Amino acid sequence: MGKKECIAMLLAGGQGSRLGALTRSIAKPGVSFGGKFRIIDFSLSNCANSEIDTVGVLTQYRPYQLHNYIGSGAAWNLDARDGGISILPPYATESGGSWYAGTADAIYRNLDYIAAHNPEYVLILSGDHLYRMDYRKMLEDHIAHDADLTVSYLTVPWEEAHRFGILLTDENGYITEFAEKSPNPRSNQASMGVYIFSAHVLIEALVADAANPESEHDFGKNIIPMLLADGRRLLAHHFDGFWKDVGTIASFHETNMQLLGHEPEFDLYKPGWPIMSNSPTRPPHYVGPNGQVENAIVANGSMVLGTVKHSILSTDAYVAEDAEVIDSVLLPRARVEAGARVVRAIIGEDSVVQEGAVVGTGDATKDIAVVGNMVVIEGSR
Amino acid sequence: MERAIGIITTNYSSVNPSELTASRPPASVPVLGRFRMVDFMLSSMVNSGIRTVGMILPYKYRSLVDHISRLKDWSLDRKQGGLFFLPGTAFGSTSFEARFLIRDLLDNEVILEKAHEPYVVLAAANIIMNIDLGEVIEAHAASGAEVTMVCTEAKEADKALLTLKIDDGHVRGIKFGVEEHDVAFLDCCVMSVDSLRGFLAAYKAEDYLDLFEAMERDMGRLDVRPYFYEGEALPVFSLETYYKNNMKFLDEGMLQEMFNNDRPIQTKAQDIPPAKYEQGSKVKRSIVSGGCQIAGTVEDSLLSRLVIVEPGAVVRRSIILQSCVIGAGAHIEDAIIDKDNVIPAGTELKGTPEAIFLYGKGSIS
Repeated sequence: MGKKECIAMLLAGGQGSRLGALTRSIAKPGVSFGGKFRIIDFSLSNCANSEIDTVGVLTQYRPYQLHNYIGSGAAWNLDARDGGISILPPYATESGGSWYAGTADAIYRNLDYIAAHNPEYVLILSGDHLYRMDYRKMLEDHIAHDADLTVSYLTVPWEEAHRFGILLTDENGYITEFAEKSPNPRSNQASMGVYIFSAHVLIEALVADAANPESEHDFGKNIIPMLLADGRRLLAHHFDGFWKDVGTIASFHETNMQLLGHEPEFDLYKPGWPIMSNSPTRPPHYVGPNGQVENAIVANGSMVLGTVKHSILSTDAYVAEDAEVIDSVLLPRARVEAGARVVRAIIGEDSVVQEGAVVGTGDATKDIAVVGNMVVIEGSR
Repeated sequence: MERAIGIITTNYSSVNPSELTASRPPASVPVLGRFRMVDFMLSSMVNSGIRTVGMILPYKYRSLVDHISRLKDWSLDRKQGGLFFLPGTAFGSTSFEARFLIRDLLDNEVILEKAHEPYVVLAAANIIMNIDLGEVIEAHAASGAEVTMVCTEAKEADKALLTLKIDDGHVRGIKFGVEEHDVAFLDCCVMSVDSLRGFLAAYKAEDYLDLFEAMERDMGRLDVRPYFYEGEALPVFSLETYYKNNMKFLDEGMLQEMFNNDRPIQTKAQDIPPAKYEQGSKVKRSIVSGGCQIAGTVEDSLLSRLVIVEPGAVVRRSIILQSCVIGAGAHIEDAIIDKDNVIPAGTELKGTPEAIFLYGKGSIS
């Protein structure tokens, strides 16, 4: 096989447990987002748009639907003969097998895959993030500075800094300190969990980490601090754009809502960086004679016979006559039947809100209501 | 199931040429927002288990080949079989527009020669229908007929269609044009590969004719039977039927009937986000495709992909094709706006329900 300059390893095995009902049957990267997309579409599209044609996707939690969705990778133009997408689940060897014990362990156990492509650089990504990023700029930065590892970061509000890996840099942009989820963050430069390693540095670090019984085998907690302690060149790369890790129901809802409005910050309609997806071919959506749609995103196959305001309707969603959907997200094939009311809620895939039922409340002090996938909310008849 | 190959002809012209078909063959005319005419027959074939399809191409094949070329979308990227693009002559020279020109079939007889399947479905591409061809093939095989012609009772006159004269359960003749209640041929038939090759050999001397035009004189002795298709079949051969049959899908339930999930109609996938409605949008009884951004008013209309309706713009009883921008305050009524047009702010473009206004293709294609 030919030598690759840069390959990507995409971590897609996480459960996303704080998304609760939404990830009961599918891993977080497979959760529907923005009407026709799934979360993993964003990082796969970023790879394809950045001309990275070799992507290893590491899966573990509830993988079937995700594997099925990724397929051959053709939907993201990643079905190259030399490279393309490879799905890398945990596997057994003659000495036994076990689950991936952490992000670093997952990559360590697939060093064979990396070796087969013999790249100069390895880009480590998470399949959980929503953003549009040209990884080529980061790679150029990495090469120009002759770095061992480049960590991309964004500037976050101070009050959120404790949720991230926080980095401190010197005047030349090199990382001097790194602390994962510190209660007292010393800066607001937050790691996005997007790393470019020089391949030999990555391999040495993973081998050393695997031999350390004290390690949790995590990039943020173990690998980066170890490399810093070893005096390696760790570069910080500033990303200036929209990036979100939708960790909770509230942020999933909020980030969906951020797609709405005229030229929003997270603008899917801005040309030049297509977000590709493996969504099914469905007819355009239909708005009925009494339908009312305002400030909303509506995907193909949907039917709007009632009222939809400030909401996202995913593929094949259905809103009956006299039904109301406000400040909500209907996931694929969700149905809201006649007279039902859905406010500040997320309705899961294939779920039904029956005639006259009410889900959620306009009271902003209450949590966003969530109905999981394939659930029937009975009406009040 | 009985196995068959498919042949789709796309190189006939239009009896009613209009600006819509000036730059593209009738088979690649855009319909129902995101589809092209050819999607319906090609999907029907694939959904019926047909995995070898020959497509006889028109002279202006660019838009058609571009539309079909990602064969994976059609499950036709196969090591054995798959889709074959076949050359077609520019035009027939018969008394009506030949759909199945003998010369084209003879020129491409290799696809019949190589077929392992016993049957062939021969069809054109200008009728919106989602037909279970498996049933037609079964019926054909069970009847022992030489040719089975798919037909329906015409709901209205259409001079582009062929009438089948039926007597005692057999097709005994044809007539150009249909009147209301006539038995209209839906440009789709089944026969054995061997029968088709036999006909081609027999009618070789008249290769400038349509197959059924040549066959007519033999219909008395041949076993040609009708297959009555019960589902919706909407022919699109003129601007008038184009407008009318697109608009039929604004009736509730029509979309679901045509696009059931068991027999999906495929089309070229494009990476565009879903439609977005902005503050102040008013949309009623309309079909809206992906990538549209609507801030104005849209009623009783169909919008293809990536149409922008700016604030204060009004679109009524109209079909707006891909990538048009309807400028702020513009009024469009009873019109078809072909793709890539930018309608400047404040413009009025109005036809009448009797005379639909057609605005030709924009400069970008």
